[in-house]
Amino acid sequence: MTDSQQPLAKEWTKEEMEQAVDMPPVPEDKEIFVRIRNLHKRFGPRHILRGIDLDVYKGETLVVLGVSGSGKSTFFKHLMGTHTIDEGTVEVGGRHLDHLSTDEWGAYRQDLGVIFQMAALLGSLTVLENVGLPLIEVERAPTEEIRERVIEALHRVFLPAEEILSLRPDELSGGMRKRVGIARAIIQNPRLILYDEPTTGLDPVTVSGVNELTLELQKTLGVTSLVITHDMEAAFTIADHIAFLYNGRIVAYGTVDEIRANEHPVLRQLLTGSTTGPLTEDYVK
Amino acid sequence: MLAATGRLIIQACEEAGRTLRLLVAALLYIRVIHRSHKQLVRQLDHAGFGSIVVLSLVAGLTGMILAMQMGTELERYGALDSLGAIIGATFCREMGPIWAAIIVLARVGSSMAAELGTMVVNEEVEALKIMSIDPVRYLAMPRIVALIIAMPLLTTMADVVGIAGGAFVSHSLYGLPYDKFILSAQSLLTSTDFFSGLFKSMVFAAIIGAVACDRGLHTKGGAEGVGKATTVSVMLNVLFVLVGDYMLTAIIQFLTRAEII
Ligand SMILES: Nc1ncnc2c1ncn2[C@@H]1O[C@H](COP(=O)(O)OP(=O)(O)OP(=O)(O)O)[C@@H](O)[C@H]1O
Ligand SMILES: [Mg+2]
Repeated sequence: MTDSQQPLAKEWTKEEMEQAVDMPPVPEDKEIFVRIRNLHKRFGPRHILRGIDLDVYKGETLVVLGVSGSGKSTFFKHLMGTHTIDEGTVEVGGRHLDHLSTDEWGAYRQDLGVIFQMAALLGSLTVLENVGLPLIEVERAPTEEIRERVIEALHRVFLPAEEILSLRPDELSGGMRKRVGIARAIIQNPRLILYDEPTTGLDPVTVSGVNELTLELQKTLGVTSLVITHDMEAAFTIADHIAFLYNGRIVAYGTVDEIRANEHPVLRQLLTGSTTGPLTEDYVK
Repeated sequence: MLAATGRLIIQACEEAGRTLRLLVAALLYIRVIHRSHKQLVRQLDHAGFGSIVVLSLVAGLTGMILAMQMGTELERYGALDSLGAIIGATFCREMGPIWAAIIVLARVGSSMAAELGTMVVNEEVEALKIMSIDPVRYLAMPRIVALIIAMPLLTTMADVVGIAGGAFVSHSLYGLPYDKFILSAQSLLTSTDFFSGLFKSMVFAAIIGAVACDRGLHTKGGAEGVGKATTVSVMLNVLFVLVGDYMLTAIIQFLTRAEII
């Protein structure tokens, strides 16, 4: 076994680095909730997603790692149904997202919470109206109930609800906006939550708070979560599994321990934050 | 070259079709307008009240300039008495609706396109879709309806202010008494003139709202895209409003001659 004697000395070719990993067989006690096979996306001539295969188990948190611009947000948009699927299949909780009717989309989205990279709050609405928007517009709940549920959701993300209810998004700090965005995503108790960089730009205490919230939602509500993050510590804290997206494919996948031990050179560079490695060599070339 | 022109034409047709579909979808959503009353009030305020001052100024000045130009000529032929009729007809048939449309498309249409474009760039529109809220119902419909309500009112105001401006100049420059000016206007103008002008203005409102919302909601590519959406919406609106005006005027004239209206 020469490989294991000198694990880091192995030279990886470009092809090897871009090689997609096969999803492992499903453990007996697990059930697949999100199943993606051979997902492709092109923007004009640019081939951004080049055959993504990924399983997410029910009730688990999967963290997606990847360098900036690798297509993580683009990948998420296929799960939201705001990008059409060029090729491949996306299946969530038994629903095939490539052919859903309008009503089925409605039902699917009731179960879906999304935290956007830039919060995506509506600038003309107050915090109360923003967080309560799905209740006002879709559920059409009574005003008193909306207020109560909004306050509860805001408390869950550690915001002083009563103080900020009537403020508009531009009167909040960036970190507060982000948390208001999280409150909006969880107010309907979704079964699947997509977090696009939920902790970027937050102070360390709030970061831990958001991480704990992710864990708590998973425990209490049994939600399945997909999280994009550049925060390795957070990734290792909340993840059940980690997937590494590189050049349009999932090139590394495993539990936290497996990922820590993974030898993919780009992943290693990302985990250590080193400036020497294949990522930076690419730029030099 | 030929292929490129062909592609451009096909693209233009596709986009026009898209705008038309948006308009139809928005108009169909009017049956649930009670759910958007807050939005509607805000848009009415923005579209209607916001335009009053500029439009009054423009319409009043146009009336005064028209009176001055026409006055010299008519005085020479001793037909000063018909000044009221000419200015009244010009305003009710053309100037009122057109000025209201131009001011609204420049002020309100462009800001609608920019606002919706910014919402697209900030992923707000995407967030609405995720919550199963149709952006056409939630964003486009109240804006278009607000324009359709506000525009005839603005047009009426432009008519009144324009005619008043004309009367003022006729009186102060050519010594034409106010009552003569009004009488002359009344002798020529029919209610058809007035109401066809209002009808035109409602069609313009639908065009302006649909084009602005469509351009805004289909913004691509960041802040630059927002700028482009805004400019294109203004350009297209000027074009469509004038073409629409020509066609509507032709139809209205045909109907009046055939004594259908
Ligand atoms: N609507 C679009 N049209 C054209 N190109 C797009 C579009 N959306 C994304 N892209 C391109 O796809 C690539 C991936 O973008 P994406 O936003 O998914 O990256 P990301 O992995 O989320 O990066 P970050 O970590 O910086 O958020 C980028 O090169 C971007 O230019
Ligand atoms: Mg991103």
